[in-house]
Amino acid sequence: MTMTEDRPSGTRARHPVRWIATVALVVVAGLVAVLATRPPASVAEVDSPLLGNLAPTLSGTTLSGSPFVLPSRPGHYVVVNFFASWCEPCRQEGPQLVRFAFEHSRTNDAQLVSVVFDDTDSSASAYQAQLGATWPTLRADGALALSYGVRAPPTTFVIAPDGRLAAEVIAPVTASDLDQVIATVKARRP
Amino acid sequence: MSTTLRGAADPMARRAADGDRKRRRFPWWTLFGVVAVIALVIGSGVLGSSAPTAGQRALAIETDIRCPSCEDLSVAQSSAPTAVAVRATVQRQIAEGRSDQQIESYLESRYGASIELDPPASGWTLLVWLVPLLAGVGGLAVVTTVLIRRHVTVLDEAAAGDVGSIGSVSDDAELPTDPDRLADRRAFLVRSLSDADAEYLAGDLSDRDYLALRRRDMKRLAALDAHGSSALPGPETPAVLSAAGPAVATASAVTSSAVTAATAATAATVTSAATAERPRRGRRSWWFLAGAVAAFTVALVVAVTQFSSNRLPGQTPTGSVSLSPSQQTEETLAQAASDEDQGQVEQAASLYQDVLDQHPANEVALAQLGWIEFETGHSTGDRSLLADARAKLDRAVKLDPQDYAARLYLGTVLLQQNGDASAAVAQFALFHADGPPAALVSQAAPVIRQAYTAAGDPVPAWLPANS
Amino acid sequence: MNGALGYTGVLLGFCAAVVGIVVIATGLVRHRESTLRGGQLYAPLILLGGLVAVVAMEHALLTHDFSLTYVADNNSRSTPALYSITGLWSALAGSILLWAVILGGYASIMAWRFRRRASDPLVGWATLVIYVVAAFFFGLMLGPANPFSHVVGAVPHNGLGPNTLLQDNPLVLIHPPMLYLGFVGFTLPFAFAIATLATGRVDEDWQGETRRWTLFAWAFLTMGIILGAWWSYEVLGWGGFWSWDPVENAALMPWLVGTAYLHSVMVQERRGLLRIWNLSLVVAAFSLTILGTFLTRSGVIQSVHSFSESTIGPLLLGFFCVVLVTGVGLIAWRGDRLRSAGGIDAAVSREGAFLVNNLLFVAFAFVVLLGTVFPLLYQALNGDELSVGAPYFNRFFVPVGLGLLFLMAVAPALPWRKASLEVVRSRLTVPAAAGVVVVVACVAAGVRGVEPLAAFGLGAFAGASALRALFLSVRAAWQLARRGGAGPVRALLSGWRGLVGRANGGMVVHVGVVVVAVGLAAATSFIHRGELLLRPGQTATYYGHDVTFVGQRTVTTPSHTALEAVLRVDHGTFSPAISQFDGNSQAVGTPAIDSSWRGDLYLTIDSIPGKGSRWTFGVVEQPLVMWLWIGAGLVAFGSVLAAVPGRRRRPTDPISTPVVGASPATRDDGAEAGTAAATNGDGTQHPAPAPLEPVAVGPRGTDSDGP
Repeated sequence: MTMTEDRPSGTRARHPVRWIATVALVVVAGLVAVLATRPPASVAEVDSPLLGNLAPTLSGTTLSGSPFVLPSRPGHYVVVNFFASWCEPCRQEGPQLVRFAFEHSRTNDAQLVSVVFDDTDSSASAYQAQLGATWPTLRADGALALSYGVRAPPTTFVIAPDGRLAAEVIAPVTASDLDQVIATVKARRP
Repeated sequence: MSTTLRGAADPMARRAADGDRKRRRFPWWTLFGVVAVIALVIGSGVLGSSAPTAGQRALAIETDIRCPSCEDLSVAQSSAPTAVAVRATVQRQIAEGRSDQQIESYLESRYGASIELDPPASGWTLLVWLVPLLAGVGGLAVVTTVLIRRHVTVLDEAAAGDVGSIGSVSDDAELPTDPDRLADRRAFLVRSLSDADAEYLAGDLSDRDYLALRRRDMKRLAALDAHGSSALPGPETPAVLSAAGPAVATASAVTSSAVTAATAATAATVTSAATAERPRRGRRSWWFLAGAVAAFTVALVVAVTQFSSNRLPGQTPTGSVSLSPSQQTEETLAQAASDEDQGQVEQAASLYQDVLDQHPANEVALAQLGWIEFETGHSTGDRSLLADARAKLDRAVKLDPQDYAARLYLGTVLLQQNGDASAAVAQFALFHADGPPAALVSQAAPVIRQAYTAAGDPVPAWLPANS
Repeated sequence: MNGALGYTGVLLGFCAAVVGIVVIATGLVRHRESTLRGGQLYAPLILLGGLVAVVAMEHALLTHDFSLTYVADNNSRSTPALYSITGLWSALAGSILLWAVILGGYASIMAWRFRRRASDPLVGWATLVIYVVAAFFFGLMLGPANPFSHVVGAVPHNGLGPNTLLQDNPLVLIHPPMLYLGFVGFTLPFAFAIATLATGRVDEDWQGETRRWTLFAWAFLTMGIILGAWWSYEVLGWGGFWSWDPVENAALMPWLVGTAYLHSVMVQERRGLLRIWNLSLVVAAFSLTILGTFLTRSGVIQSVHSFSESTIGPLLLGFFCVVLVTGVGLIAWRGDRLRSAGGIDAAVSREGAFLVNNLLFVAFAFVVLLGTVFPLLYQALNGDELSVGAPYFNRFFVPVGLGLLFLMAVAPALPWRKASLEVVRSRLTVPAAAGVVVVVACVAAGVRGVEPLAAFGLGAFAGASALRALFLSVRAAWQLARRGGAGPVRALLSGWRGLVGRANGGMVVHVGVVVVAVGLAAATSFIHRGELLLRPGQTATYYGHDVTFVGQRTVTTPSHTALEAVLRVDHGTFSPAISQFDGNSQAVGTPAIDSSWRGDLYLTIDSIPGKGSRWTFGVVEQPLVMWLWIGAGLVAFGSVLAAVPGRRRRPTDPISTPVVGASPATRDDGAEAGTAAATNGDGTQHPAPAPLEPVAVGPRGTDSDGP
């Protein structure tokens, strides 16, 4: 402030302008340090609060119209993939999912379920057909997406055999990513 | 040099006239204040407001929850499917009787803390609330303190009637020694003096203020000149209200004394009476003003925080005049549903009937009323009631094939009334296809299982195992 | 060819800036006036370089030259000409080009305006600062944000086309350029601030000299922000116009500080006070534009507006640091020697009001900054994600806004130096009455809610106060003309003089702001959102509006296909649509709006069922939305009025209308006129007529209404 030339002497710090300027620079330096070290928002990692808890019930209707309930297969891992046909990164991970499904259908220790997210049945069916998906695909279900806390596709969850959510990936996954998650969980619980 | 003050022709008369005017003057501002406060209190809706309805609660929660797939919009604003799903969940949970806090915790347990648009006031996030408040309060405190001290000083000086004494009171302890700063300060004081003259002429400064400012600036100017008179070039000094246009002075000493004399002269003509009475009253009135402003600020802050927490965003004006028909229907249905939950079936039935009177095709009312009628008819054996119930449920199902509640009711009626298990099974299958909430499924499981068993069909997988 | 030409233009601009820096620096160090004068020549060269690059880029866009990456990413063969033109600023690299060419334009105008004072070292310093900024932005285009980079590999046959949302509405033609004219415009006052600090000549009225620049920049920025809100409303489909998005906040922060500066500089002109405030404000305003550019383009904050992330983030952050450290460092170095020679005399005075104004604006700008970057800070501290959204900002916005409305009402009636309550009371009685009457009327009409009522009341108060000032000013002009011997009609017509000039234009702007505030309060407090489920032929009623779903139709143009739902609302037809643009598989919704001065009904298609069942239409009913746009128009009009030079004034001219007849020569009616003045309370800034020259000659004898 400028109105301080006339003031009782000695009651306030000399050179207040310098003090204020220094404080301002320090604060800004802190701000800049934080801003400079931020990762791009699109790859920010955040842990879902569901991790480690029992996964929400997975049930719905498949694209063909029949009701679906997750068959309980002891010892199986379940990979739940939320996708949309308009989502570019989903197209990237599509072939990887096909590979994962194929490999694990042979080893018979994991099953894959896809859930449509914010898309029409027809587009999603066409997309899955084009991909060559052999695993069940559930219709878009707002409540299901909410119970899993899905914000945007592609989001993939891995559910351990004990029913707990082991991992959430909010990015295109690869088959090896998924295998790695399964291996980690297996190692933790013999 | 003649001194003229505006109205100096008869200062005493003018002051008397002023006083008269004051005494007779209508207290407009008091009236304004009172009327405004009353109007705002009425307008806040605090009188006669009731507990928020379900719709209002839902809207309040939805405005604070971020749409999961959008960037900044709340679920109330967005029409994205994720937002629609969250709204449906919120409304359902309100109907189930959960509190606002429970609903928000549920959503946070799914999406994480960042689903809330309003940062909570706890932990590190407290900073985002505290820092602005502290900065604001701190800044206000600093400004107020400095300004109060200034104002009191000006009045003190006016009261002291201290003319021409150098180095008295307060603030001039730091006279600059640097010639540039001296010249700067001198120019500033000269400009301020002429400014004060012009303001006074134009009627913006009161006599008292004008004299106080003038006296102070003159004193400072004199002090400055005495301090550095040798170093200064010939300055320009305001002559006192001469008619001849810009005055040009030559020697600083001459003008200083002339100015001082002028000030003394003006002091003599007008001020003695005025200043003797005024400062005490002036200071008192200033403190009153400060107190009033502070009280007003506090009241405003309290009012805004208080009313903004009670008044929900988008709250419709109270009074049925302002509620639109569709809003009214919503409210009635919600009220009826809660009545039904609390077991006041007759009240609920009459409310549903009200809705149907206005909107005969409202399927929610049809289904619910049909169900109530069936239950009543079933227990009393009233055949006409049962037939009416069946008709309503049929109609509800036809109007909205996707309504799972109507399907469930119809299936139950078919089973328990008509004994038609296979038809019931068909309805229950459709019920399931409509995506009912799990709670309802488990609640209805016994009846559904009964139907399937009676029809000879295998119990479907989607029924929970234990019921 | 386009790429080569464009790159040459960028290179020309960069080299001109760098050489200009060297020349001016030499001139300053060696105190050579001729060198300084020569240094001004480089500004037009910078502009030329920018223009060449712009022409090359527009040519490439209009001819669909897909050999350039930028064109391939933001243009396609089916893009209409309008959106090809706007493609210049639709993506990152092009927006930097727009910034650079506008900066060249401003630099050239400045060089021309100050050509007679080119040998003044202060002008030299200011030009140097502008050249540095220009060098930075042209330098960005040479490397990381090169708009003229060539496609790697084969030239694609067709491009990706612009972002869907950016070819939806012609507003994209004016919104970004307006915004940039505003942002870049703040470079000039900043340059002069640095120049005054560097040369130490802080007591000269350079702020006044550049006042008109600042006004233009501020006006453009205001229009840019309002247009952004309008676009958000017309295009995005959620029915609102401001969502406290980080990019919106990035434009708002410099605007807030700039508004504070625009007001506070008046105190410096008039009394020579608040020097450090003004220097700090202008440094802050410019720094915030750079920070905003960083936030928008670096990708650290996710936003619906943000450009794709790129490597220029760290560079922009570095430049922000340089700017801020230079500015604050210079202020700290000059330190307390900068301070004004005196202080504010009284709290209740116009100076005091402007100081409170500064505090409010700066405080709110700080809140906006804190809210915008807090998620990042929180993530750095805690690792967790956090959202800070509308509820947070609105909590602070409402009290600050109400306080500003109050200040707007009171300040024009406050005298300079010191206000006595009697004077202020007498002047503001009628406006206060207006405010109270409005509140009572609204409450009687059934309006409920403290915040909107307070906004309406204070808005009426402020509006009436501004109108009072305008009325007095017009009346004074009329009286002046009468005294000058004009006939009654002619004198009446010459009342227009009471509407132009800084103070009067400012009052018109205030009226505009009041209209905007009232519209904002009404639209946000009494909004109703809902859904209508309709089959073709069905009618529903929503808050008094009858909506009939007539039918659907499909509209195809070369660039897009739209499915429209034809709705009849009350007596008009409106068609919300869902459009699909070539090359983009995601459909976007287009709203249809039934606007009237009383309110808007906003319709969107939310879902289309598969079978012939019911369509879901989103409907939003908001009162007084149109007032926002009308108010913005008034603000623009007022800014134009304010830019018109008034009569030659001196900074020490009285605030009030000169009391007609109260010349010292006629002392007898002086008493009467004086009394009249005290009770009527005139409050306009107007030149004094000849007989009543203010008696002092201030340090600067004449004032020129320079830019």
